[in-house]
Amino acid sequence: MVDKDGLALEVSGLTTGYQGKVVLRDVTWEVPRGTLAAIIGPNGGGKSTFLKTVVGLLKPMGFDKLELLGLPPRRGRRKAAYLPQQEEVDWTFPITVLDVVLQGRLVSQGIWGRYSREDYRRSLDALDALSMSKYGHTQIGSLSGGQRQRVFLARALAQEADLILLDEPSTGLDAQAQHELAEIFQNLGDAGKTIVAATHDINCLTECFDHILALDGQVLAQGTPEQVLTEANMIQLFARHFPKIGASGEVTVHDS
Amino acid sequence: MTLEMFLEPFQYSFMVRAFVGTGLVAVITAAVGTFVVLRGLAFLGDAIAHTSFTGIALALLLGISVYFGALFFAILTALGVVFLTRVSPVKDDTALAILFTGVFALGIVILSVSPGFAGDLSSLLLGSVMGIQTDEIWIMATVALALALILLLCFERFVFVSFDPIGAEAAGFPVAFFQGLLLVIIAVAIVIAIQAVGVVLVVSLLITPAATASLITKRIKSLLGLSSVLGLFASFIGLYLSYFWGAPPGATIVLVATAIFGVVLGVQKLIGIFRLS
Repeated sequence: MVDKDGLALEVSGLTTGYQGKVVLRDVTWEVPRGTLAAIIGPNGGGKSTFLKTVVGLLKPMGFDKLELLGLPPRRGRRKAAYLPQQEEVDWTFPITVLDVVLQGRLVSQGIWGRYSREDYRRSLDALDALSMSKYGHTQIGSLSGGQRQRVFLARALAQEADLILLDEPSTGLDAQAQHELAEIFQNLGDAGKTIVAATHDINCLTECFDHILALDGQVLAQGTPEQVLTEANMIQLFARHFPKIGASGEVTVHDS
Repeated sequence: MTLEMFLEPFQYSFMVRAFVGTGLVAVITAAVGTFVVLRGLAFLGDAIAHTSFTGIALALLLGISVYFGALFFAILTALGVVFLTRVSPVKDDTALAILFTGVFALGIVILSVSPGFAGDLSSLLLGSVMGIQTDEIWIMATVALALALILLLCFERFVFVSFDPIGAEAAGFPVAFFQGLLLVIIAVAIVIAIQAVGVVLVVSLLITPAATASLITKRIKSLLGLSSVLGLFASFIGLYLSYFWGAPPGATIVLVATAIFGVVLGVQKLIGIFRLS
């Protein structure tokens, strides 16, 4: 059992979903601080639903315990950053990279006021840490997918977030950008940050992550990559999504 | 245009008041309109303007200030949208359509049972900028200044909740408060602009300068500044045209704003064609 004081995320008996429809049932999961954790599962398995519930974007239908960084969600969220899926952001919005990163500083401010020198310093440091300094005055929409991820991670650093949750961070990235993202995760983990990423990309899981939660409407498995990424678990998670050829040659992608 | 022609309208105090009043509301409405355009809320602006009509009808019936009536219904619409989208599983535009048509229908019912206000209502539907009084200028100036101050103080926060409301909400940022405040500002700007261009055309003052500015610049602070300048320019030229042509000022102001948009868009397309060839 992990030290409770050292938990970045603690969820017990969580049931959640949309508009009265249960998507995830009875999830119990603990993520120690500094962990690089991945949530895997098929489409519709509840990965995004879980993340959105944890950060308060969805109201849970029931839970025994839900804490972020040892705090109730409302307080813990101020030290947590959530990076939505790329298609959920309007990349045509006329905003520069530095302005996006500075937004991380607004979380700890009151409802009025302007950015201080300290806010600028921390934001520039965050950009530097993600090797994005030279793009400060560039429009966010003109960057590549990997660079946009870096900008949002820089915003999380400027926010001084200790828990960073990402929804499908590798979608749309080429192999090089995925590898660079894995390195960034490793560096953030070394700096004591906790990463929780929902991903359908199981290729880099053993390289990037040291803890995995497998979801398909409920928890199928959790533990180290070696414990979770077994053949039996993979078949149970994804087999019904593989195409099948029937007796008369017809191809079906999903079974019922 | 000679200098004499340029100065001619200023011989009349009602024209001076019209220039000042329209200029004030054009600047602030166009500035607020930047966020309306960026967030794709043009339909909301139109809805607020039309529900203000119900507030005006009710105010005339009760014998109270039409501004209070319009403001009450405008803010009710703006906050009603935030409330409906949070408690009801329907999309923003659907929630807005329900609220907008419901409140507008109420205005029609009020009008149908009180047929004596046709004159007042037509001036509010089409604007009555030439009839602005000095005390109304002071009200417009005070409200415009207050809105500008809120916009300045909360600018970064409005940008945050407009650009990435999901990330902001997840970090515990008070997204609903700032989205609500932004909608209230939009509602108030619409109400003070109604006298200049009327309920029917006010949405143009909100949308067109900001949309034109968005064709020219991709930096949000420049966008806001340029939108205000374009709004002011359209209001001045529109008033001149109204004075010399004898046309309704609301219509000429909107025509100028639309013409500027058309010219900028046309020039951009031409530049694009020349670059390709």
